[in-house]
Amino acid sequence: MRKQLSSEHLTALLQALIAAGTRVVGPRRVAGILLYEPLITPDELVLDELPRRSVKEAFFPVCEDLLAYEKQGQQLTLQDVDPASFPQTVLVGVRPCDAAAIPVLDAVFSWDYKDQFFLERRARTTIISLACTSADDACFCTAVGLAPDEPRGADLMLTPLEDGGYLAESHSEKGEALLEAHAGLFSEPGAVQPLPLAQPQTLSFDLKKIKAWLDEHFEDESWDGIATRCVGCGSCAFVCPACHCFDIVDEGSEKSGKRRKFWDACGFWKFTHHASGHNPRDFQPKRYRNRIMHKFKYYDDKFGQTLCTGCGRCVRLCPVGIDIAGVLEEIEKKANE
Amino acid sequence: MCDSNQNIYLPYLATVDEVIDETPDVRTLRLIFQDEQLRDTFSFRAGQFAEYSAFGAGESTFCIASSPTRTGSIECCFRGVGRVTEALRRLEPGDTVGVRGPYGNSFPIEQFFGKNLVFVAGGIALPPLRTLIWNCLDWREKFGDITIVYGARTEADLVYKRELSEWQQRGDVRLVKTVDPGGDGPEWNGKVGFVPTVLEEAAPSAENTIALVCGPPVMIKFTLPVLEKLGFGDEAIYTTLENRMKCGLGKCGRCNVGNVYVCKDGPVFTAKQVKAMPLEY
Repeated sequence: MRKQLSSEHLTALLQALIAAGTRVVGPRRVAGILLYEPLITPDELVLDELPRRSVKEAFFPVCEDLLAYEKQGQQLTLQDVDPASFPQTVLVGVRPCDAAAIPVLDAVFSWDYKDQFFLERRARTTIISLACTSADDACFCTAVGLAPDEPRGADLMLTPLEDGGYLAESHSEKGEALLEAHAGLFSEPGAVQPLPLAQPQTLSFDLKKIKAWLDEHFEDESWDGIATRCVGCGSCAFVCPACHCFDIVDEGSEKSGKRRKFWDACGFWKFTHHASGHNPRDFQPKRYRNRIMHKFKYYDDKFGQTLCTGCGRCVRLCPVGIDIAGVLEEIEKKANE
Repeated sequence: MCDSNQNIYLPYLATVDEVIDETPDVRTLRLIFQDEQLRDTFSFRAGQFAEYSAFGAGESTFCIASSPTRTGSIECCFRGVGRVTEALRRLEPGDTVGVRGPYGNSFPIEQFFGKNLVFVAGGIALPPLRTLIWNCLDWREKFGDITIVYGARTEADLVYKRELSEWQQRGDVRLVKTVDPGGDGPEWNGKVGFVPTVLEEAAPSAENTIALVCGPPVMIKFTLPVLEKLGFGDEAIYTTLENRMKCGLGKCGRCNVGNVYVCKDGPVFTAKQVKAMPLEY
């Protein structure tokens, strides 16, 4: 379904959702940093900038409780987490590179054992994405096969119009339902002109070719050159919309506490460190290699998908200037040799 | 695999029934599920693992060291070397632990029926084979000759000492036990030498035989060529990999060896499969 939505009506839509008790999450400035955060009022929404962290935390929080335990004498009781406590949520102003990562994450959290923490939030969330009309040097969504108006993962997609307001296009039943529930705010699209879309870097990767090189080059001297300078800070993984590695940690005493799931990163030395002292990835380039392999080979081997949407956050925030797009360009060059 | 509305990270509760010190730093916990129904319904296969938790310290990954043929309780065996294992070591009979599992694949025991078996283990790596050893001994008539080559650095580092004597005394098992040079005490009645060397001397026939190898990486490295020399093919040799894990469910992303996830695709692999993997274990 294709409708038109004025800026005023977008505000009214968010206002109506908030008033109805729906949790509305969108880019909001918190202590100077733009993050996807719950909105108290629609005017907190900032739509002209890419948030610092991706939207994955709406489904996979930085840390979350898995259970609580309490011990009395030798007897211990567990308290489970009730997924019904996860709120109905509407995400708004989600960048296409962030929205596209969510169906990619569905694969790992739903194969075999189902991770209800991710999946229940997913079921209770509607994603309103926003097409990009500007890109910076680090953006490379088009290079990994996506686009500034990529609808993947979006339930409803807003495209900014020349004369203000948005074209609103539903891409799922949830999107249709949202349009129907608030039909009074949407109008039939007239002869409207969308704003020109962003034009990220002109690069275009042949991901098949890159994967074919990775298939054959687990051992390759170029890994050392690519990643010796990596300091293993984990920033790239924490801002990535698709990275999903986690740790499970008990917080509390022997008497009472919580077991929690935390974001983790394959760039950390401790990530694979055995209690014996042995570490299969004992050298930073081996850890960076895992990062590239997981994104462009292993996840593809397992789920037929790429674990990167070209948002460029890791490029912008790497303290030592490692540019994943540059790394992929190098790999493609080698594959062509 | 699991109901979609279940918390896959929620462990079963089990009571410590017995604490057995295998060596000064290796301990066995015998665990009985607190849910009476679960005591009968919990089933697993030799080779599978579980996540064991000491609440307040966290979870640790070990194989289920008891045999699937011995029901009513399960056992784990671990060395106290980290935060969780030290906390597990502090537990006493009556205390509660968490258990998630069973996870991972298992030894294809049915494919071993009618064959001879050679178990080769080093140090703390006997538990992942001990589950299978007892499974096979409880179904003794289904197998041919059973040889167990087991070694540790010193006499004190051998685990399951009582069971070693039991296996030695049974007429239907050939046990070759060894300690590294210098590891023998005055009353030592086994061999002295490294496991690969002692295995070569023991020279079990490869004819219609499956080899099951578990040990530290250096032992595996030197044992595989010996088995090859004895005539074992790569598909007749099984081992288990023990990469660090957290979820055990194929999600948390750390146990992979290349694109192989030890928690889901393993932990049991043939030597052929291991040789095809990148060196990341």
